[in-house]
Amino acid sequence: MNINTLESSIPISLESNAKNEFWRGIKAAFPVMLGFIPFALVLGAQAIQNGLSFIEVPLMTGLNFGGGSEFTAMQLWTSPPHVLLIVAMSFLVNSRHILMSAALVPYLRHLPKRYVIPALFFMCDESWAMALSDAKKQSRNTISFPYYLGVSAGLYLTWVMFTVVGAHLGPIIGNVEQYGFDMAFTAVFLVLLRGMWKNTRTCRPWFVSLAIASLTYLLIPGAWYVAAGAVSGLIAAAFWGKQQ
Amino acid sequence: MIDTLTILTIVLMASTTYITRILGYLMLRNHTLSPRMMSVLENVPGCVLISVIAPAFVSKNPANLLALVITLLAAMRLSILPTVITGIFATGLLRHFIG
Repeated sequence: MNINTLESSIPISLESNAKNEFWRGIKAAFPVMLGFIPFALVLGAQAIQNGLSFIEVPLMTGLNFGGGSEFTAMQLWTSPPHVLLIVAMSFLVNSRHILMSAALVPYLRHLPKRYVIPALFFMCDESWAMALSDAKKQSRNTISFPYYLGVSAGLYLTWVMFTVVGAHLGPIIGNVEQYGFDMAFTAVFLVLLRGMWKNTRTCRPWFVSLAIASLTYLLIPGAWYVAAGAVSGLIAAAFWGKQQ
Repeated sequence: MIDTLTILTIVLMASTTYITRILGYLMLRNHTLSPRMMSVLENVPGCVLISVIAPAFVSKNPANLLALVITLLAAMRLSILPTVITGIFATGLLRHFIG
């Protein structure tokens, strides 16, 4: 191989590798995209019922892109809306993101900040967990950035598009819960958890989280259970980490 | 079609959400992480994911709990798509016949 072909082949192979990784991400996200659809439809329909316009629905789901906080906002929506209440509840529901992006730091060391900051806009439970478990599955200590972007693109477009569809279908959409679609997320999360499982000893903090989150959910109204469960599990992890 | 207060709420809500997404990264990215910090961060995925789905484990509806057990068994053996399908069908059918 002479120098010319060597020079030209390197960027091309890098580029096509990134393209393959991007498509691998979209393909991997497919089952989760299907799981998003019923929820996006319901959210869009709820938003229209609450008086949001056909432009405001994709504005909210496209700028915010966080299902949990959007459902919460729709629960609390009044006309006119309580701005501060909704902003505060969004922070509470999404406070887990702070921990999630902190956990990505060791896996993002290879990327400059100017790539990471915009890419984190698309970080949701599913894209984050899939990128991390993909890195672990391939025994790499960095996440595949184009794979993450592929997963994100699939999930983001599905969410925004189907909330718009839901807004237009409106009242045709009944209660999805009666059909069992709400189990889709639990199912996805359980598979992701299985992928992260090592053994009972190292995963002890998970059970602390499960117990505290469940108790908080039963005893305290609102969305406190996620933050309470996550933080208590991590305190346990810090404690057990010190013992070892 | 567009209401000022609605737009304000949406923009502030979205900014808050975005801040939560970058905050952890910005706080830790310039720090060398101690082994203890690493072991805490290692546990973030499991602790966050299980906390998000915790309400399913304490459902008061027996149909939901039974469906959760079936979904859990599926998740131990199958990949995402078949587990999701099993979970939805089990939940829908059990709610129809029991709940």
